[in-house]
Amino acid sequence: MTSSLIALETFVGFRWLPADYWDLSIPVYLYLAVVAGGAYLAGASAWFRRTLGGGGGRLEPELIRWGFLIAVVSAAGAGLAVMSHLAVVYRALLFPIYLTNFSSWITIGTWILVILSVIATLCLVLALFGEDAADAGDGDGRSLWPRAVVAKVGVLPTVDRLVDRVRPPTGALVALHAVGVLFAVATIYTGFELAIVETVPLWNEPVIVPALFLTSGVAAGVGLTLAVTLLFEREIGRLAGGYAVAVGVLSGVSLLIAGIGWGEVAAGGMAATASYSALTEGTLAIGVLVVALGLAVALVVGVVLGAAAALGRLPEPVERVGGPLLIGSFGLLTVSGLVMRILFLLAAEQHPVVVVA
Amino acid sequence: MSEQWMFYFDPNRCIGCHACSIACNQRHDRDADEDDWRTVTHLERGEYPDFQELPVSMSCMHCHDAPCEQVCPPDAIVKREEDGLVTVNRDRCIGCHYCAWACPYGAPTYDDEGLMSKCNMCLGEGPGSGHGKPPKQKPEDGGLKPSCVDNCVGEAIKAGPVSEVMAEASETAARRFENGAYNSRVIVEPMDEDSAAGMDDVADASIDANDEGAAAVPAGGSDADGGASDWLNG
Repeated sequence: MTSSLIALETFVGFRWLPADYWDLSIPVYLYLAVVAGGAYLAGASAWFRRTLGGGGGRLEPELIRWGFLIAVVSAAGAGLAVMSHLAVVYRALLFPIYLTNFSSWITIGTWILVILSVIATLCLVLALFGEDAADAGDGDGRSLWPRAVVAKVGVLPTVDRLVDRVRPPTGALVALHAVGVLFAVATIYTGFELAIVETVPLWNEPVIVPALFLTSGVAAGVGLTLAVTLLFEREIGRLAGGYAVAVGVLSGVSLLIAGIGWGEVAAGGMAATASYSALTEGTLAIGVLVVALGLAVALVVGVVLGAAAALGRLPEPVERVGGPLLIGSFGLLTVSGLVMRILFLLAAEQHPVVVVA
Repeated sequence: MSEQWMFYFDPNRCIGCHACSIACNQRHDRDADEDDWRTVTHLERGEYPDFQELPVSMSCMHCHDAPCEQVCPPDAIVKREEDGLVTVNRDRCIGCHYCAWACPYGAPTYDDEGLMSKCNMCLGEGPGSGHGKPPKQKPEDGGLKPSCVDNCVGEAIKAGPVSEVMAEASETAARRFENGAYNSRVIVEPMDEDSAAGMDDVADASIDANDEGAAAVPAGGSDADGGASDWLNG
């Protein structure tokens, strides 16, 4: 009795299905959705600290503003990216009518992204307009972008009054921000969108892929928020240090999860092995290096520099270069998160046709 | 659900002539440059004189567990209760291509509009035509025989309700199907002794490949019957 594997041919003969299957817009969508979640978490945590913890520092309002703003922009970008890929956009826009299969992660994800977008926009408007915001900046706070845009249109006082008039009580605001946190974490769905595809072993990791997408995306979202904030607030205080540590730890966890997943793929079956080969040979290997470097640098810089700043033990010479270091490393982290998702699609191999004799 | 309809394939009888895929295109008025609903893949291995080729004819298998249906966000893909056929309502399709990744057989195709179409076992003619049609009838009851089945010169492809296809299959193929081989999505005849004998050299040379590929072979797909051969993941 002979058992052998013969006549093998990958069922889909390309590493990358033709562009009309899934193109670059998909990794962009998968990434920006979680970055939106991460940026929202940065803004909301600063808001909770300021509102409930009595934090009156200069950094909280900036983290709140940039966090919610990046969340809104990223969520919008994610929506545009995924719609640019669809054949019939109006049906997607009418998602409450058309997307009725709630066992599909695209349907679930659409609702999560839309609700997160709405909550982030509300939080941004409430943080950006009103008497408090006017007091926070120079003069009437018109220097605070994007308040400046509204000021230029000439309706800033009106918008401030309107927002103050409709501003909910603190209890309701706490509830709103808390619900937003839930939906920000729920952007883990981007990982499940790939993880349930049984034909692609690189993706079909129901724990590793969602966990990796969440931690790396949230790290990038929080890191991006902190980096943009530090562009304008050069000083690395204790609060910024705390956020930097959080980004570093999330990057480290992402690195760990990616390492476990890497081992699984390397030891997998035929299609997994083909994915592994694609990731270790040729141009995709450069991308793997970028991802590993981005996560590792963010881990080291975030934890070491962040911990020193959080403990108030940042030496003066380091303090001068600390801002640019954090901005640079978190910028690289942001790029590496996108590269990671592109790699996930470029290296996807479907199970081959197998003949066993 | 009434009895599931399904395809049957006998690699021993397939000569790789592509009559099935061409007949499919004609029945459904598909242009030559469009992706085929039924494909014939020529699996090759080795070099002359130790060269083997195996033609494999594939299309949508109308899986009982239809992975495409499960991921389709707008419920455009329907697993019909009445005959188990998987049809597409193109009036709901958003063209997200999620079904293409979920399908183990690469069955979904996309036209210039970006909408999905695939085999409907000739329930209707043309993309999306099977959706909403009355239950599939057998030819003796006035139903249309799938054009691939009708035009297969070697009778390598058959289609029908599970019980009838099972009755026509060999005992080995039927037993394997019942044991859940290929997730019970399709009935495939084992390769006969002559064909299997021709693979002996390959068998010796592919021990490593067999080990590597073990995970790619579905549960129940390993050879438990000696000499028999199977194909398709799933």
